[in-house]
Amino acid sequence: MLKKLVIGAALAFAAAVPATASQGTQGEHVQVTGEIIDTWCYFSGVMGGPDAVRGTAHHTCALWCAAGGIPVGILADDGTVYMVLKWKDTTEVADGTSLLSVQTHRVTADGTLYKRDGINYIMVDDVVNDEGIVLSNHEDFGFVPPFAQPKNK
Amino acid sequence: MKKLIMSAAAILVASPAFAGDVDYSANSQAKSWNLFGEEKARFTGKVTDAVCALTGDCPDNCGGGDRQMVVIREDDDRMFLANKNGQPIFSGATYDLANYCNQMVEVDGLLVGDSDITPGLESKLLQIQLIRPIEDKEFAKTNKFTKVWSAKYPEAKGKGPWFRRDPAIKAQIEETGYFGLGHEVDQKYLEENAE
Repeated sequence: MLKKLVIGAALAFAAAVPATASQGTQGEHVQVTGEIIDTWCYFSGVMGGPDAVRGTAHHTCALWCAAGGIPVGILADDGTVYMVLKWKDTTEVADGTSLLSVQTHRVTADGTLYKRDGINYIMVDDVVNDEGIVLSNHEDFGFVPPFAQPKNK
Repeated sequence: MKKLIMSAAAILVASPAFAGDVDYSANSQAKSWNLFGEEKARFTGKVTDAVCALTGDCPDNCGGGDRQMVVIREDDDRMFLANKNGQPIFSGATYDLANYCNQMVEVDGLLVGDSDITPGLESKLLQIQLIRPIEDKEFAKTNKFTKVWSAKYPEAKGKGPWFRRDPAIKAQIEETGYFGLGHEVDQKYLEENAE
């Protein structure tokens, strides 16, 4: 009886302890279509509501944040955001240069999805379609933030 | 045998999965930024990079600031994506955290996000304002970005904030304009909206 209790407790403990970092977890192959966004401005509201921190209006600010190493995401059509941890051949997506050329673009990306603690992470292997910048909203919002507007043009 | 059972029971109780509710804002010294869903949070956890935590691909230096970083909370093994450091200048926290790669630290900052406004995530993101290794008494401010950036781009030295001098940003704007649709679109908007 005692032996069974000990084994049961040990099994319960093993089930309760999550995989460690070095073990990793299994991902799931996905194809995601959506807009490349700056996740800090989108989720924090620091520059305004979510409609204002996308598209052409927010493009310059998105460049600033991506260059600053702030996580870049793909905002899918259903509203889900996928945090980008790998882009094609590099995992160094916070190096300030890797993701600048695709900011605000609408892309379709193939990759591996990992879910942990309420956040979707994507390791992008390939961009199968890049439509460029599709959301043109600067006529509605101007420059977001306003100080992104160039002064001497 | 009884000791074995007691030990196993103690391990179960101490497991992160069995941690009770804790008010992580209680001792926070973080400053409010008036953000969506903002909550102050101070907790201990392990620093690593997100790719390592999810896949097991773990460079010794966590990517040296070039990978996205996470803090895995000690109490419950919950993983928080570090989205922002303490500088109000479009800077992430990767350099601040890579400095403590694979170390146990205490972080103090804000958990940010409101799923009623932006439902794309089911968790809050972490803005870290202060950090210290758990064996240290003093917190450090998370302000490494501009120091690392200045060392990385000495040719960009000059007046004004870093994001107006960054060579990669300037090159991208030179190529596709401020709205990303070309200089003609910028010019048209600026002419029509001249102050």
